[in-house]
Amino acid sequence: MNLFTLFLSAMLINNIILSKFLGMCPFMGVSTRTSNAFGMGIAVIFVIFGASLLSYALYYLVLVPLELEYMELITFILLIAAFVQLTDMIIKKHSPTLYKQLGIYLPLITTNCAVLYVAMDNITQKYNLIETIVNSIAVPAGFMLMLVIFATIRERLQGNDVPKAFAGNPIAFIIAAIMAIAFTSLSGLV
Amino acid sequence: MAIIKAVAMMLVIGALIGLFLGIAGKKFYVAPDTRVEDVLAMLPGYNCGGCGNPGCAGMASALVEGSCTVDKCKPCKADVKEQIKKYLAEHAK
Repeated sequence: MNLFTLFLSAMLINNIILSKFLGMCPFMGVSTRTSNAFGMGIAVIFVIFGASLLSYALYYLVLVPLELEYMELITFILLIAAFVQLTDMIIKKHSPTLYKQLGIYLPLITTNCAVLYVAMDNITQKYNLIETIVNSIAVPAGFMLMLVIFATIRERLQGNDVPKAFAGNPIAFIIAAIMAIAFTSLSGLV
Repeated sequence: MAIIKAVAMMLVIGALIGLFLGIAGKKFYVAPDTRVEDVLAMLPGYNCGGCGNPGCAGMASALVEGSCTVDKCKPCKADVKEQIKKYLAEHAK
């Protein structure tokens, strides 16, 4: 598979949110304002890229030589938790406003299943280093794209007269469903 | 044998990550703002609401922000008022 195809399919066609339904928690939680969604997207790109590369190195340099491949789940979780902790510290130091806005969703990147999915997917698909790098950028980029698009729709929605039964989260879930339907039409692209 | 190897590997990885995070924690340390708690400790703590703030905790954060003055606190004794004024002047940002 050439790299561009890999990038496109990881970002749009097999989009992590709309076709795999992973990472729904920040998708619903941090999408009320575009600026927050943007900050969250950058944080997720940083975490997924760093954690995936580290887990890739750990798997092929430590686990395979030691014949401990079955330990991948627990070691990857450890790496991801440490990496999120580091991101937390960096954001707290350099951007207190973003730290306040993200609130609980920042440490919750640890439990964002998208992060673990990318790290494990790189191993199970037997990607080489270049493909791993491309995949680890494309997947969170798709996540960020969807998060920002969704946040802009929700921002527009705030001024609208939503029926009382659908106000708040219900209408957001309906919009997410419509977005997912719209994105299935991309599946014939590659 | 395999289990010993696995445990040893987890210990080594854990120790390395712990060391790294410890160093990073020192490097990215942010001093917490303790002024609100200090002022709150000096206020009488009746939560009477006479100053117009929601309780003494609200008063303390308003004092630190500068949106309120100590003189609005009615049950506060004169010498404590002076003490708080002095503290806020010393610890202004």
